[in-house]
Amino acid sequence: MSGAEDLSNESVELKEDKQFDVEAEDNLEDDYFDPTRYMFYRDRKEWADLEPVPQDDGPNPVVKIAYSEKFSDVFDYFRALLKNDERSDRAFALTAEAIELNAANYTVWHYRRVLLQALTKDLREEMRYITAIIEEQPKNYQVWHHRRMVVEWLKDPSEELEFIADILSQDAKNYHAWQHRQWVIQEYKLWDSELEFVETLLEEDVRNNSAWNQRHFVISHTTGFSEPALVEREIQYCLTQIKKAPHNESAWNYLKGMLQDQGLSSVPGLLERVLRLKETHCSPYLLAFLFDCYEDALESSSQEENKSDEELKETLEKALEVCHLLAHETDTIRKEYWLFLGRSLKNRRGADEERS
Amino acid sequence: MAEEESQFEEFEQIDFLRDRHVRFFQRTLQVLPERYASLETTRLTIIFFALSGLDVLDALDVIDRKTMIEWIYSLQVLPTEDEANLSRCGFRGSSHIGIPYSTKGPGVLHPYDSGHVAMTYTGLCSLVILGDDLSRVDKQACLAGLRALQLEDGSFYAVPEGSENDIRFIYCAASICYMLDDWSGMDMQKAIEYITGSLSYDNGFGQGAGRESHGGWTYCAIASLCLMGRLEEALSQRELHRIRRWCIMRQQSGFHGRPNKPVDTCYSFWVGATLELLDVFQYTNFDKNRSFILSTQDRLVGGFAKWPDSHPDPLHAYLGLCGLSLIGEPSLRKVHPALNITQRAFEHVQQLQQTWRESAGSCGRQH
Repeated sequence: MSGAEDLSNESVELKEDKQFDVEAEDNLEDDYFDPTRYMFYRDRKEWADLEPVPQDDGPNPVVKIAYSEKFSDVFDYFRALLKNDERSDRAFALTAEAIELNAANYTVWHYRRVLLQALTKDLREEMRYITAIIEEQPKNYQVWHHRRMVVEWLKDPSEELEFIADILSQDAKNYHAWQHRQWVIQEYKLWDSELEFVETLLEEDVRNNSAWNQRHFVISHTTGFSEPALVEREIQYCLTQIKKAPHNESAWNYLKGMLQDQGLSSVPGLLERVLRLKETHCSPYLLAFLFDCYEDALESSSQEENKSDEELKETLEKALEVCHLLAHETDTIRKEYWLFLGRSLKNRRGADEERS
Repeated sequence: MAEEESQFEEFEQIDFLRDRHVRFFQRTLQVLPERYASLETTRLTIIFFALSGLDVLDALDVIDRKTMIEWIYSLQVLPTEDEANLSRCGFRGSSHIGIPYSTKGPGVLHPYDSGHVAMTYTGLCSLVILGDDLSRVDKQACLAGLRALQLEDGSFYAVPEGSENDIRFIYCAASICYMLDDWSGMDMQKAIEYITGSLSYDNGFGQGAGRESHGGWTYCAIASLCLMGRLEEALSQRELHRIRRWCIMRQQSGFHGRPNKPVDTCYSFWVGATLELLDVFQYTNFDKNRSFILSTQDRLVGGFAKWPDSHPDPLHAYLGLCGLSLIGEPSLRKVHPALNITQRAFEHVQQLQQTWRESAGSCGRQH
């Protein structure tokens, strides 16, 4: 996965030396010492050996970003280090400055990883570092990838679930956080408390689609959805949540997703339960689910001969009724779609009727 | 009197301000302030948004094509004399590594210079939008660079040094192969397996198996399969039926990317184009979609934002226009939903490919 990061030894190595400490405060040879004054790299004598490399966009640059002197200076020296593939502490320190200016620059992160390995840096310290950066910029791809690499090197996921939980407490739907969480759990088999975690989040916000997805993820990778008792438990769970918050697409998607492959109409009593719910907790999602139940009933019956023509006709009527309700009352934004579904169903089933 | 005024106001608010958007993209192509620093490594994608945006607006005449084409070619990572870097070829996002400006080969040896799959994709798009014939693209090198990015599971890295890997880069890879008319850049079967493996229980696509379904990744999945010409081979009619449902449920006014999330202008394209590819976009509510997109229009500086009363940015400005184009906004060019360039630019691609096939036929294998 890491590619070319544990590179060869054809690089310029510099001895660790206090001289290369880039902190401005340590430059004791200044006549006037001002700890708040930032010193450009081009003026630091410990960097005098390096020729800065400017960006070259040619005679007609496009989408040129107007960098400040400080920004350009840091990156001119970054480019110089990169060109020589320098492996040193001063280079390592500079990557942190570059990251602060632009944490989305994936080359800086890659170079930092090269240095972490070449200089055998303390990876625990790096974990602390990346934790702080992610807290500041939780929607950046590079920082999460970097964390994943460090966790892999350490072979230690012990901080991950807590850390991710903290990030999710700030934004419960952060896609990067959930992705990282799924990777950690799957890679290191940390399934045990995850369902509990999901339930806590759903208690906080029953409409958190990411949490519903995680529920499916955990169950499908642990117990699976084949045992009837478990399926019944999940159906109960869904219906309970739906009663609390009827207008919740996530719960209905979960219910349907869990049962659609075995066939919605194959679940005994489900249709009746949903019809009861329709009286008090109706929503476009409930009606769509009903339509899907009826459609599945029609589909599976065309394969078996156990339903009478009368029954099938009734089911078709009900399906079309639901379409009509959705199109004209409950889900009018999708009017054309529901009318289209009704027409399609009628054409398909109408053709079947003619055949029999 | 007050009633008259408010009616007039309402009309103004849904007015599409074409000229403002042209100027927005023009300014984008010039100089951006330092606070856009995080876009440095992806500047080529920003160029693509601006150029394709201007193309959709039928306003490419405002830019100097020639200089822009030169600048894009300066971002090509070309093979070195000994071709040792073939697996790193493609296009860079910008000059941030510090390679001296050059629009021709051979490539420069540098320990950290390599292409980025999304930049190769947007670089090629930008060139065809500008009417370039891609004759200076080292196609074989690009394809070699692409092959080096594909993993065992069928997904792609963005860069050969390694990065996150997911369905976005499959889309970029598919677009590259499609435009270069050469699928040797990938193992298509493996890519298809990764895509179908990313289909969620709720019938949208996530970034990978088990991940939450999302409008952006669903676009990448469906558009990739369409570009490969494998949509109906990879997905059953029943699956397509279900995917259509997931997608069409994303409309709230405009569209959102995931259930129970707020609507965002860019999904008018990501989800809208997916619905178009699945032949059901016609059943969406055009009025509500249009009203939402225009509510995110910045009446002062032009462009579109993700939400109303937010700052516009090049991505949302471009995708907002594409969203409007899908619903047939007059004065906007049609957009090819899978390739995400105008039909006009797409026809140019087809003509180029015709030329390549003809000359390959007449004088043997061509580089």
